[in-house]
Amino acid sequence: MRQVTLNGRAIVEGRCEAQALVSTKPISFLGGVDPTNGKIVEKNHDLNGEYIKDKVLCFPHGHGSTVGSYVLYSLASKDQAPKAIVNQTADPVVVVGAIIADIPMIDRIDINQIRTGDTVEVDAYAGVIKVLKRRET
Amino acid sequence: MYLTKEEERIYDGEHGWANQICMKILVRLGELFSATRLIPISSAHISGVSYKTLGDAPAEFLERLADADGKARVKATLNPQSFDPEYLEKRLPKHIREKQFNILRQFEKMGFTQSLTCTPYYLEKPKRGSHLAWAESSAVVYANSVLGAWTNREGGPSALAAAIIGKTPDYGMHKAENRKPNILAKVETPLQNEAKFGALGIYLGKILEDNIPIIQGLKNVSEEKLKQLGAALATTGMVNMFHCDIHLEGGKMEKISVEAGDIKRTIEDLSTSSKTKPKLVFIGCPHCSLNEIRQIATLIRGKTVEAGTEFWVCTSRYVKKKAEDYVKKIEKSGGHVLTDMCTIVSWTEMLGIKTIMTNSAKTAYYAPTLNKVETVFAPLKQCLKTVLER
Repeated sequence: MRQVTLNGRAIVEGRCEAQALVSTKPISFLGGVDPTNGKIVEKNHDLNGEYIKDKVLCFPHGHGSTVGSYVLYSLASKDQAPKAIVNQTADPVVVVGAIIADIPMIDRIDINQIRTGDTVEVDAYAGVIKVLKRRET
Repeated sequence: MYLTKEEERIYDGEHGWANQICMKILVRLGELFSATRLIPISSAHISGVSYKTLGDAPAEFLERLADADGKARVKATLNPQSFDPEYLEKRLPKHIREKQFNILRQFEKMGFTQSLTCTPYYLEKPKRGSHLAWAESSAVVYANSVLGAWTNREGGPSALAAAIIGKTPDYGMHKAENRKPNILAKVETPLQNEAKFGALGIYLGKILEDNIPIIQGLKNVSEEKLKQLGAALATTGMVNMFHCDIHLEGGKMEKISVEAGDIKRTIEDLSTSSKTKPKLVFIGCPHCSLNEIRQIATLIRGKTVEAGTEFWVCTSRYVKKKAEDYVKKIEKSGGHVLTDMCTIVSWTEMLGIKTIMTNSAKTAYYAPTLNKVETVFAPLKQCLKTVLER
């Protein structure tokens, strides 16, 4: 397989390798994600029922209340946070959340190139993502 | 983004974790919006104080920040919490009160003023042209449009970071070129009361997105009516500012006109119920000014509140104290002048309130979802007629 490398902008530094969880819909962390276990509970969301813990969470951008930033902090303090966040366009709620929760974050990535279940390597120093292994179909 | 030597030291952690994390928030947000530097602010106003809207997640962060010696460097005020300390506190379960008090304790430790109001400008009016970092969208619009101070629409966390650093990134509403009007809204129908000003805000907010309008055709304007207009604009739109100075040159810009029918339809939509007798009549979103409390006391004219109905007037402790004589009249009628709280972030469900009547377009818009109630939206005079015995 030809390795896919995506270049974006580093927002919160860090590095990890994990499975991707990809959404085509914006996520509101306040109300949309259970702050105790990281389960996506927003109705009619394409990731409804999924857990974001230890995933590279890819979604277009955040929406909703700025309290959402604190939800990311709370998840991290309970070890329920994603390993990294990848956005198409970073927005203040998610950026602040990633900073205070210390979750590596990159934006300006074409997330359509990544599929749920892919194994990806996130280099949030350089702002680069590599798809190491496609999900087996 | 350019940082001074001192700012860099804070960023690198030389002044501890609390300052470092706050500096990181400001710098990253600044970069996001292409700011090139930080600028000093004269005050910060923080939203996200009510335990009802915050839940448990933020308390952990606030505790850590306070434990790490986070301290506000500029005057920093707080938005309302979820209950009034005298009237409603005793009617709520202990665990809720304690969670709320814990949040307030953390802010107090960090040196925030326990203003607990959405109208911090009644406590101290910011100077024209001063830079602020205010959250609470209604106060942001009021500061930019009525007071001539300069602030972006901050979120709770970014206002908190700005308070602790004493600075904000220089972008958006802090730049003169971004404060110019770019759309003309002509109001073709007279707006006789504050409720109609609110309805205009709800209507325009949906159309304007984040544009800055000149609103022409407003008559009998008062600061309180503009407060209702601004709060409503920010409810349905990302509007940060409006102009209503008729001398401003419109120039070549898009025009929209607002007709009587638009206002009428908006008012109708803001009432989900017309038949139900409201359990609660609520005035004070945003918090009442001294003028408004005086007006309510005068209009009551010694009548009493009907049995089985609650009448709440919300304001800050500061204004309540200044309005002592009027407060006595309202309380004598059976009404309650409540401080520190906001009805839409309070626990009305727990008090068995199923219908709220209000003169606030913002409350009428939010209450069906936030308080799970029916709403009746009407001007003050009609609200009083409903709540007082004939």
